[in-house]
Amino acid sequence: MDWFSYDINRYTNVRMVAIPLILFLLSLAVVGMTYASTGLPVKPGIDFKGGTAVTLSTTDSEDAVRAYFAGFPLEPITRDVTSRVYLLKFTKMPADQNQELIDRINARYPDASVDYIDETFGATLQGQAIIALLFSFLGMAVVVFIAFRTFVPSIAVVSCAFIDMVGTAAGMNLLGIPLTLPTTAALLMLIGYSVDSDILLTMRVLKRQGRLEEKLAGAFRTGIIMTSTTLAAVLSLWIVAGLGQIEIIRDMAAVLLVGLVLDIINTWITNATILRWYAERKVS
Amino acid sequence: MAKPKKKKEEAKPQAPARKEGLRELVKDWRVALLIALLVLSLVAIYPHFEDGKFTTALQFGLDLQGGSWLQMSFGSEVVGFTSLRSADELAASLGDRLDAEVSPVGPAQLEIRRSFNRTDLEEALASENATLTTYERGVSRATGDDIKRILEQKINTLGTKDARVNLLTPVGTNVVRYVRVELAGVDINTARDIVGKQGLFEIRIRTAGNETQHVLYGNAITSVGNPEQDPQRRTWGVPFTLSEQGAADFRAAANLYGAVTDPEAHPVSMLLDNVTVFSAPLAQELAKELLTQDVQRLSASTGSGTVGMQQAQNLEIHLRAGALPVEVQVANFGQVSAPLGEYFKFMSLLAGVLAVLTVGLVIYLRYRERSIVLPMVGTNFAEVIILLGIARFVQQLDLASIAGLIAVVGTGIDQLVVITDEVLHEGKVPSPSLYLKRLTRALAIILVAAGTVVFAMLPLALMDLSTLKGFAFITILGVLIGVAITRPAYGKIIMAVLSK
Repeated sequence: MDWFSYDINRYTNVRMVAIPLILFLLSLAVVGMTYASTGLPVKPGIDFKGGTAVTLSTTDSEDAVRAYFAGFPLEPITRDVTSRVYLLKFTKMPADQNQELIDRINARYPDASVDYIDETFGATLQGQAIIALLFSFLGMAVVVFIAFRTFVPSIAVVSCAFIDMVGTAAGMNLLGIPLTLPTTAALLMLIGYSVDSDILLTMRVLKRQGRLEEKLAGAFRTGIIMTSTTLAAVLSLWIVAGLGQIEIIRDMAAVLLVGLVLDIINTWITNATILRWYAERKVS
Repeated sequence: MAKPKKKKEEAKPQAPARKEGLRELVKDWRVALLIALLVLSLVAIYPHFEDGKFTTALQFGLDLQGGSWLQMSFGSEVVGFTSLRSADELAASLGDRLDAEVSPVGPAQLEIRRSFNRTDLEEALASENATLTTYERGVSRATGDDIKRILEQKINTLGTKDARVNLLTPVGTNVVRYVRVELAGVDINTARDIVGKQGLFEIRIRTAGNETQHVLYGNAITSVGNPEQDPQRRTWGVPFTLSEQGAADFRAAANLYGAVTDPEAHPVSMLLDNVTVFSAPLAQELAKELLTQDVQRLSASTGSGTVGMQQAQNLEIHLRAGALPVEVQVANFGQVSAPLGEYFKFMSLLAGVLAVLTVGLVIYLRYRERSIVLPMVGTNFAEVIILLGIARFVQQLDLASIAGLIAVVGTGIDQLVVITDEVLHEGKVPSPSLYLKRLTRALAIILVAAGTVVFAMLPLALMDLSTLKGFAFITILGVLIGVAITRPAYGKIIMAVLSK
């Protein structure tokens, strides 16, 4: 099966990387703007900022639910397609008001799910999440450098992963997906998975015999299927979790979707162009 | 450019030859290992019907089974200091100055079991000729372990099953900052009651026969120390202090009921919620001392060796009547109702099944050959079963780890694609030696890719603070099982399929 043919010889190196470059610059701008206003590359969610999240299943109308919680700092409500599962978020409130909220929830919706995160804990968690992201990226880079032991191909893979991450962060801001523990986990996963196809590409180009174009095309045929299978799995997750209002999985899947699509662009345009340039320079 | 075309080989092998091939295949150790693990995992998961409902032996996290969690911070701090005095000396004098329990944690750290802010402690240390170097809210590892033990025991005695107590220590420090308690099947208010509940502690003295008389309640005990070993007798004991009134009452009762003159006949017993947790006669020296004066500092001796130590640890908890050695505040909490947990469980299952089906469909569209697609999807499925089989013993499944599991499906298939394409290069079925060379090359790609995932997930798996340990663990485990077991087996299977 071939969805479209892959031939990077149609364009010069500069024209090839123009689109990813523009995308990267735009992402940097989005991430930079978010950073300037929140101090984080992505807007933090309740896990990091503190607050109360409530999931409840009820036949009450949205207005009725909102009226019941009048007086509490309630953010806009989201709900699933069946309109029976509501997702409520409250910003920070004093301890006694918080206890009042819990009692109120349990009085009318005893089957509700509640999560309260303290602001201080959120801040600690945020620091830890950033440490995790840094170490994770470093770990990936070390593995890549050990595996290839040549500078240009290794740095190409690592930079593509970095560009993916920045782009995904920008995508999260644009789609309104907050940075929470689950979405941090999804970003960590992307660090690992986004280099999969880059590694395949680099291995094929460096270690196989044959013409460069054929090696690139062969790698693309395999690589695009790899990404499509992952995309298929993640897409079905996203659909089911989106319909069923499972916020954790829905957000994780959305982050992975954005990241994987960007990965296709960065692997098969950015990384492939760098590799072509590297291979041709070595030959001449 | 020329597109590599795959040659379809439709010549079906004869039945006996296929049977022979299958037997050969199963004999291969890689394939045999895969099958053996698959069977063992199915046994471990133990899918069965109970009361007409389908259940398994898998453990589920709070968000899938319903329950509550509480995360508490401590009203205490651990500080680092520099001083010419020893930690023991400094702890003693600082304790008096602050009117708080202060104990050394290693040579340059102190644990202060009361809430103070940084400047207060800086001043206090300065007046003790010491300099404060670090300040962190929380408790030492040892105190943390005590707290964990106390909470576990308390929850167990209340008969609550499925409780988990975890200490949370941020990366880059040895200070425990939070303790997290998870209780299945109760709502948040009940959970708070359970964790905050104190037992009724009582000391009684035997008068005659089986008769005992009340001496004190737990409120007369002002502080309880950590278990310590008597340097001469090598026996373990728990030191505790009585209030002035308590000491007077104790002496009066000991004299009145004859425990001072004949300790053996009138042992002192301790009860928690009307259950005897300790009983022993007064020591000779103590009995003598009590004749003439009140004694506030006492010690309950449990015996020598490991048994004595364990008994002392338990007794310490009982003496505290379930109270924790430091004050705690609930920082974070949450609850998931059982019906919502059931709903999440169902939706996750649905998502999982859908993921496997769509991945299968994509693979089918690519290869359009049953003899390749079936082994591929089958191997992938086996991988999930083995992963679940192992996870059943070490990891509870929560929503995040299910997302990890489904990602394993997606990436597991990726690597099978790498193997298949590498082996099928140029559409020709390779000779065994060439095949081996290509398989090795495919496995090299897979190994590097797996390495990056493992290292990317490692920080999360090692971090205490997050609830995503399970997710990271499942992902890493999935990758390892893939690399070590299912990929090599698949390489063998696809070879057998292709050579027909």
